[in-house]
Amino acid sequence: MKVYTGGGDRGRTSLFSGERISKTHDRVAAYGELDELSAILGALTAALEGRAPQVLKEVQDIQYVLFDIGALLATTPESPSFAALKKIDEETIAALERRIDRLDAELPPLKSFILPGGDMTAAWAHIARTVCRRVERRMTGLAEEEGMEDDLQPARVYINRLSDYFFVLARYCNQITGVPDVVWKR
Amino acid sequence: MAEEIFTTRLRARRWLSPDTYEVDMDRPDRFHFRPGQHIRFDHEGLEREYSPVSTATDAVITLCVRDTRTGNFSTALAHAPQETSFRFSGPHGYFLYTPSSRPAVFAATGTGIAPFVSMVRSGVTGFLLLHGVRTAEECFYESLFRTAARGYVPCLSGAGKPADPPDAFYGRVTDYVAGHLPSSPCDFYLCGRQEMIRDITFLVDEHFPQSRIYSETFY
Repeated sequence: MKVYTGGGDRGRTSLFSGERISKTHDRVAAYGELDELSAILGALTAALEGRAPQVLKEVQDIQYVLFDIGALLATTPESPSFAALKKIDEETIAALERRIDRLDAELPPLKSFILPGGDMTAAWAHIARTVCRRVERRMTGLAEEEGMEDDLQPARVYINRLSDYFFVLARYCNQITGVPDVVWKR
Repeated sequence: MAEEIFTTRLRARRWLSPDTYEVDMDRPDRFHFRPGQHIRFDHEGLEREYSPVSTATDAVITLCVRDTRTGNFSTALAHAPQETSFRFSGPHGYFLYTPSSRPAVFAATGTGIAPFVSMVRSGVTGFLLLHGVRTAEECFYESLFRTAARGYVPCLSGAGKPADPPDAFYGRVTDYVAGHLPSSPCDFYLCGRQEMIRDITFLVDEHFPQSRIYSETFY
Protein backbone atom coordinates (compact mmCIF):
# COMPACT_ATOMS: atom_id res chain seq x y z
CA MET A 1 0.00 0.00 0.00
CA LYS A 2 1.36 3.41 -0.88
CA VAL A 3 2.00 5.92 1.86
CA TYR A 4 0.49 8.86 0.02
CA THR A 5 -2.73 9.50 -1.89
CA GLY A 6 -2.42 13.22 -2.55
CA GLY A 7 -5.90 13.70 -1.09
CA GLY A 8 -4.52 16.19 1.40
CA ASP A 9 -2.82 18.41 -1.14
CA ARG A 10 -5.55 21.05 -0.96
CA GLY A 11 -5.46 21.55 2.78
CA ARG A 12 -8.03 19.05 3.99
CA THR A 13 -7.53 15.64 5.52
CA SER A 14 -9.58 12.59 6.46
CA LEU A 15 -10.21 11.63 10.03
CA PHE A 16 -10.07 8.00 11.08
CA SER A 17 -13.87 8.20 11.26
CA GLY A 18 -13.97 9.36 7.64
CA GLU A 19 -14.88 13.05 7.93
CA ARG A 20 -12.99 15.56 5.82
CA ILE A 21 -11.71 18.53 7.82
CA SER A 22 -9.31 21.41 7.40
CA LYS A 23 -5.73 20.74 8.40
CA THR A 24 -5.97 23.85 10.57
CA HIS A 25 -8.62 22.17 12.75
CA ASP A 26 -7.70 21.78 16.42
CA ARG A 27 -8.24 18.05 16.13
CA VAL A 28 -5.50 17.78 13.51
CA ALA A 29 -3.23 19.95 15.61
CA ALA A 30 -3.90 17.73 18.63
CA TYR A 31 -2.98 14.44 17.01
CA GLY A 32 -0.13 16.13 15.17
CA GLU A 33 1.38 17.34 18.42
CA LEU A 34 0.87 13.92 19.92
CA ASP A 35 2.78 12.51 16.96
CA GLU A 36 5.52 15.06 17.66
CA LEU A 37 5.66 13.80 21.25
CA SER A 38 6.00 10.22 20.07
CA ALA A 39 8.79 11.22 17.70
CA ILE A 40 10.62 12.88 20.57
CA LEU A 41 10.27 9.67 22.52
CA GLY A 42 11.89 7.98 19.54
CA ALA A 43 14.87 10.29 19.97
CA LEU A 44 14.86 9.58 23.70
CA THR A 45 14.89 5.83 23.16
CA ALA A 46 17.74 6.20 20.66
CA ALA A 47 19.70 8.10 23.30
CA LEU A 48 18.85 5.45 25.92
CA GLU A 49 20.01 2.57 23.72
CA GLY A 50 22.55 0.46 25.56
CA ARG A 51 22.35 2.60 28.68
CA ALA A 52 19.06 1.88 30.42
CA PRO A 53 17.19 -1.01 28.80
CA GLN A 54 14.33 -1.02 31.30
CA VAL A 55 13.66 2.69 30.84
CA LEU A 56 13.91 2.28 27.08
CA LYS A 57 11.25 -0.43 27.18
CA GLU A 58 9.04 1.79 29.34
CA VAL A 59 9.29 4.67 26.90
CA GLN A 60 8.49 2.43 23.96
CA ASP A 61 5.42 1.15 25.81
CA ILE A 62 4.36 4.76 26.25
CA GLN A 63 4.65 5.24 22.47
CA TYR A 64 2.08 2.48 22.03
CA VAL A 65 -0.30 4.23 24.43
CA LEU A 66 0.21 7.50 22.56
CA PHE A 67 -0.75 5.72 19.35
CA ASP A 68 -4.03 4.70 20.99
CA ILE A 69 -4.66 8.27 22.13
CA GLY A 70 -3.87 9.53 18.64
CA ALA A 71 -6.56 7.27 17.23
CA LEU A 72 -9.05 8.68 19.76
CA LEU A 73 -8.15 12.22 18.74
CA ALA A 74 -8.53 11.37 15.05
CA THR A 75 -12.02 9.95 15.55
CA THR A 76 -15.25 11.78 16.28
CA PRO A 77 -16.96 10.29 19.36
CA GLU A 78 -20.33 9.89 17.69
CA SER A 79 -18.91 7.68 14.94
CA PRO A 80 -19.16 3.89 15.19
CA SER A 81 -15.38 3.70 14.87
CA PHE A 82 -14.93 5.46 18.22
CA ALA A 83 -16.62 2.70 20.18
CA ALA A 84 -14.21 0.15 18.73
CA LEU A 85 -11.09 2.06 19.75
CA LYS A 86 -8.95 1.14 22.71
CA LYS A 87 -9.53 3.60 25.54
CA ILE A 88 -7.18 4.65 28.31
CA ASP A 89 -8.20 2.78 31.43
CA GLU A 90 -7.63 3.57 35.09
CA GLU A 91 -4.98 0.87 35.45
CA THR A 92 -2.85 2.42 32.70
CA ILE A 93 -2.89 5.71 34.60
CA ALA A 94 -2.28 4.00 37.94
CA ALA A 95 0.68 2.08 36.54
CA LEU A 96 2.22 5.31 35.31
CA GLU A 97 1.72 6.92 38.71
CA ARG A 98 3.39 3.96 40.43
CA ARG A 99 6.33 4.27 38.06
CA ILE A 100 6.65 7.99 38.81
CA ASP A 101 6.68 7.23 42.52
CA ARG A 102 9.29 4.47 42.15
CA LEU A 103 11.63 6.61 40.06
CA ASP A 104 11.20 9.58 42.39
CA ALA A 105 12.03 7.41 45.39
CA GLU A 106 15.42 6.69 43.87
CA LEU A 107 16.27 10.38 43.49
CA PRO A 108 17.63 12.84 46.05
CA PRO A 109 15.03 15.34 47.30
CA LEU A 110 14.58 18.35 45.09
CA LYS A 111 15.71 21.48 46.95
CA SER A 112 15.64 24.04 44.19
CA PHE A 113 14.45 24.55 40.65
CA ILE A 114 16.39 22.76 37.97
CA LEU A 115 17.00 23.84 34.42
CA PRO A 116 16.29 21.43 31.58
CA GLY A 117 19.52 19.80 30.52
CA GLY A 118 22.32 17.56 31.67
CA ASP A 119 22.84 14.30 29.86
CA MET A 120 21.38 13.98 26.35
CA THR A 121 18.81 11.48 27.63
CA ALA A 122 17.66 13.93 30.28
CA ALA A 123 17.52 16.74 27.74
CA TRP A 124 15.19 14.67 25.51
CA ALA A 125 13.04 13.79 28.53
CA HIS A 126 12.67 17.49 29.32
CA ILE A 127 11.64 18.23 25.74
CA ALA A 128 9.12 15.39 25.99
CA ARG A 129 7.80 16.93 29.20
CA THR A 130 7.19 20.31 27.62
CA VAL A 131 5.56 18.87 24.50
CA CYS A 132 3.40 16.75 26.79
CA ARG A 133 2.13 19.94 28.42
CA ARG A 134 1.37 21.39 25.00
CA VAL A 135 -0.54 18.27 24.01
CA GLU A 136 -2.52 18.50 27.23
CA ARG A 137 -3.42 22.12 26.51
CA ARG A 138 -4.46 21.23 22.96
CA MET A 139 -6.55 18.28 24.14
CA THR A 140 -8.24 20.46 26.73
CA GLY A 141 -9.17 23.01 24.08
CA LEU A 142 -10.45 20.32 21.77
CA ALA A 143 -12.49 18.69 24.52
CA GLU A 144 -14.10 22.01 25.37
CA GLU A 145 -14.79 23.06 21.80
CA GLU A 146 -16.10 19.71 20.63
CA GLY A 147 -17.91 18.72 23.81
CA MET A 148 -15.61 15.75 24.29
CA GLU A 149 -14.72 16.26 27.95
CA ASP A 150 -15.94 12.84 29.05
CA ASP A 151 -14.56 11.05 26.00
CA LEU A 152 -11.08 12.50 26.37
CA GLN A 153 -10.84 12.78 30.16
CA PRO A 154 -8.87 9.57 30.85
CA ALA A 155 -6.46 10.31 28.01
CA ARG A 156 -6.03 13.85 29.28
CA VAL A 157 -5.21 12.60 32.77
CA TYR A 158 -2.70 10.16 31.29
CA ILE A 159 -0.97 12.95 29.35
CA ASN A 160 -0.90 15.09 32.47
CA ARG A 161 0.79 12.33 34.45
CA LEU A 162 3.11 11.69 31.58
CA SER A 163 4.63 15.14 31.85
CA ASP A 164 5.31 14.45 35.53
CA TYR A 165 6.85 11.13 34.54
CA PHE A 166 9.21 12.83 32.10
CA PHE A 167 10.25 15.38 34.72
CA VAL A 168 11.22 12.59 37.10
CA LEU A 169 12.71 10.56 34.28
CA ALA A 170 14.94 13.47 33.25
CA ARG A 171 16.38 13.61 36.74
CA TYR A 172 16.70 9.82 36.80
CA CYS A 173 18.55 9.86 33.48
CA ASN A 174 21.02 12.40 34.85
CA GLN A 175 21.49 10.26 37.94
CA ILE A 176 22.19 6.99 36.13
CA THR A 177 24.55 8.69 33.69
CA GLY A 178 26.40 10.52 36.46
CA VAL A 179 25.54 13.98 35.20
CA PRO A 180 24.33 16.44 37.84
CA ASP A 181 21.04 18.26 37.35
CA VAL A 182 21.49 21.86 36.26
CA VAL A 183 20.38 23.81 39.34
CA TRP A 184 18.75 27.19 38.95
CA LYS A 185 20.67 30.03 40.59
CA ARG A 186 19.61 33.61 41.10
CA MET B 1 4.29 -6.17 20.82
CA ALA B 2 6.15 -7.43 17.75
CA GLU B 3 3.87 -8.32 14.85
CA GLU B 4 3.07 -11.99 14.51
CA ILE B 5 4.42 -13.89 11.53
CA PHE B 6 2.30 -16.68 10.05
CA THR B 7 3.27 -19.47 7.70
CA THR B 8 0.91 -20.64 4.99
CA ARG B 9 1.01 -22.92 1.95
CA LEU B 10 -0.22 -22.40 -1.55
CA ARG B 11 -3.12 -24.78 -2.24
CA ALA B 12 -4.62 -23.73 -5.57
CA ARG B 13 -4.36 -21.19 -8.37
CA ARG B 14 -7.07 -20.19 -10.85
CA TRP B 15 -6.35 -17.85 -13.75
CA LEU B 16 -9.17 -15.36 -14.20
CA SER B 17 -7.61 -13.63 -17.22
CA PRO B 18 -4.23 -13.72 -18.97
CA ASP B 19 -2.67 -11.57 -16.23
CA THR B 20 -4.86 -12.03 -13.16
CA TYR B 21 -5.32 -15.05 -10.94
CA GLU B 22 -6.76 -16.18 -7.64
CA VAL B 23 -4.79 -18.24 -5.16
CA ASP B 24 -6.01 -20.21 -2.18
CA MET B 25 -3.68 -20.46 0.78
CA ASP B 26 -4.16 -22.16 4.11
CA ARG B 27 -5.55 -19.86 6.78
CA PRO B 28 -3.54 -20.50 9.94
CA ASP B 29 -5.76 -21.30 12.92
CA ARG B 30 -4.56 -18.32 14.91
CA PHE B 31 -4.94 -15.87 12.05
CA HIS B 32 -8.07 -13.74 12.11
CA PHE B 33 -8.90 -10.67 10.09
CA ARG B 34 -11.78 -8.37 9.31
CA PRO B 35 -12.99 -7.88 5.74
CA GLY B 36 -11.05 -5.00 4.21
CA GLN B 37 -7.84 -5.62 6.14
CA HIS B 38 -4.71 -6.78 4.34
CA ILE B 39 -1.78 -9.10 4.91
CA ARG B 40 1.88 -8.50 4.13
CA PHE B 41 4.01 -11.18 2.49
CA ASP B 42 7.76 -11.31 2.84
CA HIS B 43 9.08 -13.97 0.48
CA GLU B 44 12.72 -14.32 -0.48
CA GLY B 45 13.27 -10.60 -0.23
CA LEU B 46 10.06 -9.69 -2.05
CA GLU B 47 7.38 -7.84 -0.08
CA ARG B 48 3.79 -7.28 -1.10
CA GLU B 49 0.46 -6.58 0.55
CA TYR B 50 -2.89 -8.04 -0.45
CA SER B 51 -6.43 -7.86 0.87
CA PRO B 52 -8.10 -11.27 0.91
CA VAL B 53 -11.22 -11.74 -1.18
CA SER B 54 -12.24 -14.55 1.16
CA THR B 55 -14.09 -14.12 4.42
CA ALA B 56 -12.75 -14.27 7.94
CA THR B 57 -14.23 -17.70 8.51
CA ASP B 58 -13.17 -19.43 5.29
CA ALA B 59 -10.70 -22.28 5.66
CA VAL B 60 -8.46 -20.68 3.07
CA ILE B 61 -7.23 -17.18 2.42
CA THR B 62 -8.04 -16.34 -1.17
CA LEU B 63 -6.22 -13.53 -2.95
CA CYS B 64 -6.89 -11.90 -6.30
CA VAL B 65 -3.57 -10.99 -7.83
CA ARG B 66 -2.54 -9.24 -11.00
CA ASP B 67 0.77 -10.56 -12.30
CA THR B 68 2.69 -7.41 -13.11
CA ARG B 69 5.39 -9.54 -14.77
CA THR B 70 8.13 -7.37 -13.41
CA GLY B 71 9.78 -10.05 -11.34
CA ASN B 72 8.14 -8.95 -8.12
CA PHE B 73 6.09 -10.96 -5.65
CA SER B 74 3.04 -11.26 -7.92
CA THR B 75 5.20 -13.01 -10.53
CA ALA B 76 6.78 -15.31 -7.96
CA LEU B 77 3.33 -16.25 -6.68
CA ALA B 78 2.07 -16.79 -10.23
CA HIS B 79 4.71 -19.46 -10.82
CA ALA B 80 5.09 -20.99 -7.35
CA PRO B 81 4.27 -24.72 -7.22
CA GLN B 82 1.45 -25.94 -5.02
CA GLU B 83 2.51 -26.51 -1.39
CA THR B 84 5.03 -23.67 -1.58
CA SER B 85 5.39 -22.12 1.84
CA PHE B 86 4.95 -18.37 2.36
CA ARG B 87 5.29 -16.14 5.40
CA PHE B 88 3.04 -13.20 6.08
CA SER B 89 2.14 -10.77 8.83
CA GLY B 90 -1.18 -9.20 9.64
CA PRO B 91 -3.90 -8.34 9.70
CA HIS B 92 -3.02 -4.76 8.84
CA GLY B 93 -5.08 -1.69 8.11
CA TYR B 94 -8.37 -0.11 9.02
CA PHE B 95 -10.21 -0.20 5.72
CA LEU B 96 -13.37 -1.52 7.33
CA TYR B 97 -16.99 -1.09 6.41
CA THR B 98 -18.88 1.06 8.90
CA PRO B 99 -22.67 1.09 8.42
CA SER B 100 -24.29 4.51 8.63
CA SER B 101 -27.41 6.36 7.54
CA ARG B 102 -25.55 7.75 4.52
CA PRO B 103 -25.47 5.77 1.27
CA ALA B 104 -22.25 3.85 0.74
CA VAL B 105 -20.29 4.32 -2.48
CA PHE B 106 -17.56 1.78 -3.14
CA ALA B 107 -15.03 2.77 -5.79
CA ALA B 108 -12.23 0.47 -6.95
CA THR B 109 -9.74 0.25 -9.74
CA GLY B 110 -8.49 -3.13 -10.97
CA THR B 111 -7.73 -5.65 -8.25
CA GLY B 112 -8.41 -2.91 -5.72
CA ILE B 113 -11.82 -4.56 -5.77
CA ALA B 114 -10.48 -7.23 -3.37
CA PRO B 115 -11.54 -5.77 0.00
CA PHE B 116 -15.05 -5.16 -1.32
CA VAL B 117 -15.32 -8.79 -2.39
CA SER B 118 -14.51 -9.89 1.15
CA MET B 119 -16.98 -7.39 2.60
CA VAL B 120 -19.80 -8.55 0.31
CA ARG B 121 -19.07 -12.22 0.95
CA SER B 122 -19.32 -11.34 4.63
CA GLY B 123 -22.80 -9.89 4.21
CA VAL B 124 -22.44 -6.23 3.24
CA THR B 125 -25.23 -5.14 0.86
CA GLY B 126 -26.99 -2.04 -0.42
CA PHE B 127 -24.02 -0.05 -1.73
CA LEU B 128 -23.22 1.52 -5.08
CA LEU B 129 -20.09 -0.01 -6.60
CA LEU B 130 -18.02 1.71 -9.26
CA HIS B 131 -15.36 -0.59 -10.66
CA GLY B 132 -12.74 0.90 -12.93
CA VAL B 133 -11.22 -1.62 -15.36
CA ARG B 134 -9.98 -1.64 -18.93
CA THR B 135 -12.51 -4.15 -20.28
CA ALA B 136 -15.63 -5.86 -19.01
CA GLU B 137 -13.76 -9.19 -18.91
CA GLU B 138 -11.88 -7.84 -15.88
CA CYS B 139 -15.09 -7.54 -13.84
CA PHE B 140 -14.33 -10.90 -12.25
CA TYR B 141 -16.83 -10.60 -9.42
CA GLU B 142 -19.67 -9.01 -11.37
CA SER B 143 -22.34 -11.57 -10.48
CA LEU B 144 -21.50 -11.33 -6.78
CA PHE B 145 -21.83 -7.56 -6.80
CA ARG B 146 -24.94 -7.46 -8.96
CA THR B 147 -26.66 -9.55 -6.30
CA ALA B 148 -25.52 -7.53 -3.30
CA ALA B 149 -25.25 -3.95 -4.56
CA ARG B 150 -28.06 -1.45 -5.04
CA GLY B 151 -26.07 -0.31 -8.05
CA TYR B 152 -23.13 -1.74 -9.94
CA VAL B 153 -21.35 0.27 -12.62
CA PRO B 154 -18.42 -1.16 -14.54
CA CYS B 155 -16.36 1.87 -15.58
CA LEU B 156 -14.51 0.81 -18.72
CA SER B 157 -11.47 2.73 -19.89
CA GLY B 158 -10.87 0.58 -22.98
CA ALA B 159 -12.72 0.47 -26.27
CA GLY B 160 -16.34 -0.64 -26.07
CA LYS B 161 -17.36 -4.10 -27.22
CA PRO B 162 -20.73 -5.50 -28.25
CA ALA B 163 -20.69 -7.92 -25.32
CA ASP B 164 -20.19 -5.17 -22.73
CA PRO B 165 -22.87 -4.93 -20.04
CA PRO B 166 -25.61 -2.52 -21.16
CA ASP B 167 -25.14 -0.43 -18.03
CA ALA B 168 -21.38 -0.05 -18.48
CA PHE B 169 -19.99 3.45 -18.19
CA TYR B 170 -17.25 4.36 -20.63
CA GLY B 171 -14.78 6.47 -18.71
CA ARG B 172 -12.95 6.65 -15.42
CA VAL B 173 -14.53 6.07 -12.04
CA THR B 174 -13.75 9.70 -11.29
CA ASP B 175 -15.72 10.81 -14.34
CA TYR B 176 -18.72 8.84 -13.13
CA VAL B 177 -18.57 10.42 -9.67
CA ALA B 178 -18.23 13.89 -11.19
CA GLY B 179 -21.05 13.54 -13.67
CA HIS B 180 -23.54 11.03 -12.36
CA LEU B 181 -23.66 11.06 -8.58
CA PRO B 182 -26.11 13.46 -6.92
CA SER B 183 -24.36 15.93 -4.66
CA SER B 184 -25.38 14.64 -1.25
CA PRO B 185 -23.56 13.20 1.77
CA CYS B 186 -22.23 9.69 1.18
CA ASP B 187 -19.74 7.30 2.72
CA PHE B 188 -17.03 6.83 0.10
CA TYR B 189 -14.85 3.73 0.29
CA LEU B 190 -11.98 4.05 -2.17
CA CYS B 191 -9.49 1.33 -3.01
CA GLY B 192 -7.14 1.38 -5.93
CA ARG B 193 -4.80 3.68 -7.73
CA GLN B 194 -3.51 6.72 -5.91
CA GLU B 195 -4.71 9.03 -8.68
CA MET B 196 -8.29 7.76 -8.38
CA ILE B 197 -8.27 8.23 -4.61
CA ARG B 198 -6.82 11.72 -4.88
CA ASP B 199 -9.23 12.87 -7.59
CA ILE B 200 -12.34 11.50 -5.89
CA THR B 201 -11.20 12.99 -2.61
CA PHE B 202 -11.03 16.42 -4.27
CA LEU B 203 -14.50 15.89 -5.78
CA VAL B 204 -15.89 14.95 -2.39
CA ASP B 205 -14.37 18.04 -0.81
CA GLU B 206 -15.99 20.23 -3.46
CA HIS B 207 -19.33 18.57 -4.19
CA PHE B 208 -20.26 16.11 -1.42
CA PRO B 209 -20.27 18.03 1.87
CA GLN B 210 -20.69 16.08 5.10
CA SER B 211 -19.46 12.94 3.40
CA ARG B 212 -16.99 10.45 4.83
CA ILE B 213 -13.98 9.00 3.02
CA TYR B 214 -12.22 5.75 3.83
CA SER B 215 -9.40 4.87 1.47
CA GLU B 216 -6.69 2.31 0.80
CA THR B 217 -4.11 2.80 -1.89
CA PHE B 218 -3.49 -0.28 -4.01
CA TYR B 219 -1.29 -0.56 -7.02
